[in-house]
Amino acid sequence: MGATARPGFERVRRIPLVLFAALYTVLAGGPLLWVASMSLRTTAEIFKDPYGFPWPAHWEKFADAWFKSNYHAYFWNSAVVVVSAVALVTVVGAMAAHCLARYGFRGSRLVRFLILSGLILPPQLVILALFQILLDIGLYNTLTGLVVVYVATHIAITVYILEGFFAQIPQDLFDAARMDGYSDFEIFWRVTVPIGAPAIFTAVTLNFIVLWNEFLFAVVLLTDDDKRTLPLGIMHFTGSHQLDVGMAATGLMIAIVPIVVLYALFSETMIKGMTAGAVR
Amino acid sequence: MAVFSARGAAPRAIDARRASLGILVAFLAPALLVYAGFTVYPVLRTFYNAFHTIKPHSVVEFVGLGNFTALLSADPVFWKAVTNTALFTLVATTVDVVGGLALALCLFARAPLAPVLRVVWFTPVLMSYVVAGILWVWIFDYDWGLANATLRFIGLGAWEQSWLGQPSTALWSVLGAHEWKWLGFNMIVFLAALHALPSEVLGAAELDNCGWLAKLVHIIVPMLRTTIVNLTVLSFIGKMMVFDLIWVMTGGGPLWSTETVSTYVYKRAFEWNTFDLGYPSAIAVLWFAIILAFVVLITRLLRPRDRLEF
Repeated sequence: MGATARPGFERVRRIPLVLFAALYTVLAGGPLLWVASMSLRTTAEIFKDPYGFPWPAHWEKFADAWFKSNYHAYFWNSAVVVVSAVALVTVVGAMAAHCLARYGFRGSRLVRFLILSGLILPPQLVILALFQILLDIGLYNTLTGLVVVYVATHIAITVYILEGFFAQIPQDLFDAARMDGYSDFEIFWRVTVPIGAPAIFTAVTLNFIVLWNEFLFAVVLLTDDDKRTLPLGIMHFTGSHQLDVGMAATGLMIAIVPIVVLYALFSETMIKGMTAGAVR
Repeated sequence: MAVFSARGAAPRAIDARRASLGILVAFLAPALLVYAGFTVYPVLRTFYNAFHTIKPHSVVEFVGLGNFTALLSADPVFWKAVTNTALFTLVATTVDVVGGLALALCLFARAPLAPVLRVVWFTPVLMSYVVAGILWVWIFDYDWGLANATLRFIGLGAWEQSWLGQPSTALWSVLGAHEWKWLGFNMIVFLAALHALPSEVLGAAELDNCGWLAKLVHIIVPMLRTTIVNLTVLSFIGKMMVFDLIWVMTGGGPLWSTETVSTYVYKRAFEWNTFDLGYPSAIAVLWFAIILAFVVLITRLLRPRDRLEF
């Protein structure tokens, strides 16, 4: 293309465009900077001037939130639940996607329809029954129960992303692998997985972000304070520090920082991952 | 997509499209078992619940359509929740699609620093609804929140509100917070679609001396039809089930003004001491049927030939 403007868009008036872009940038990024600033200030300082510069910076507030409140537990719970659930859903999802993409068999359409219909299933339609089921089998209020539920409810999107990609891998590769005497499982492990790695990475990113932020299942299925995941912990912490806005902001920032750091490093991957279900 | 391919040419033993039943089961069983036990079975059980009264200690009583008739004829809170959810869905879906397209066009028309802006504008999408909700509760704080502070700063102090504290503004405030968090998503999807448009068409329109608004209406929007339909459906489903943000920001209050179907389901199941999972299950079933009907309707109306995709 090369020109300074895309064909046909030179006519958009530049000044309103720039103004709008600047305004929206402030709107999108401003609130996060505001929390960042508040997280380093005491509540007294904030109430004196809510929009002041964080100077002197009270870094010790982060240590307070982390060790004195239960933040380290919330963070750890989230890490355990999300890493286990993402690992499991990726493995079982990839196996199922490989099977659906590679093998022709009676009933494959039915299996595909059954799994993919999970894409439009509202959580509200399963949450009450899941509450009963986990109570029945003794997994209510356990992290294990939450992991199982996360795996089950994210199989659909995982299979959807992976199957689409796996199906595009040339059949010749599989024929050649079969000719070389690879077993079915070796074909999956040594052909599909390495070649499908970009799609697997995308699915992992999407599931990781979605589950790291998940709220509804966690709030219904967990009750103990020491089992809370990060979103529940943040809500509890903010609720119990309602008058201590400074401390609540520090708590909020602990949840924001890891995501923002990852985003700074892998912005393209994360954007691609989050929109994987909508962009083809 | 040749699922049932016979592949007559290749000898059976090396046909990589065939596998024994054992192999198929080995690959599919883990996913299907977890999915059946913790998604399919709960759905069926919810349908069962909807026709029963489910009390603690496994006390189950069949009530037929009783839950549904009570719901539709004698539950003003449910109808309030339906009205709120419908309004929220209608406005938020429209803003999502129109706003997302506007932001995408803004970057596509090469606003300065577009690659950087794209990353910044997407940041809120990565925040959890809990983080976004708490942040916006502070922004809407009457005394020191950003919303009122900005109004005072630009001399519109008379307009300051207790945004989340009064029924007339609460739903709109939550909606604003929702769009802050979610617009970036639609922007990225539209931007990807815009970049996939053939540049010759846009160039040809340019030669025809076509104004940018005319080009938007007559060329870009029609060419983005698939994306627009997909995003509308996706957005619609999401809004009809909105829970997290409302729960964090208002809990459905004040005076039911932000009560949605999802928050009401949660309340009837776990907050009100009615100890009955049947009634909220009936709400969930009814609402799912309505969502499904509208998805089919939207897809039929906007895209007559192709099938629904995400």
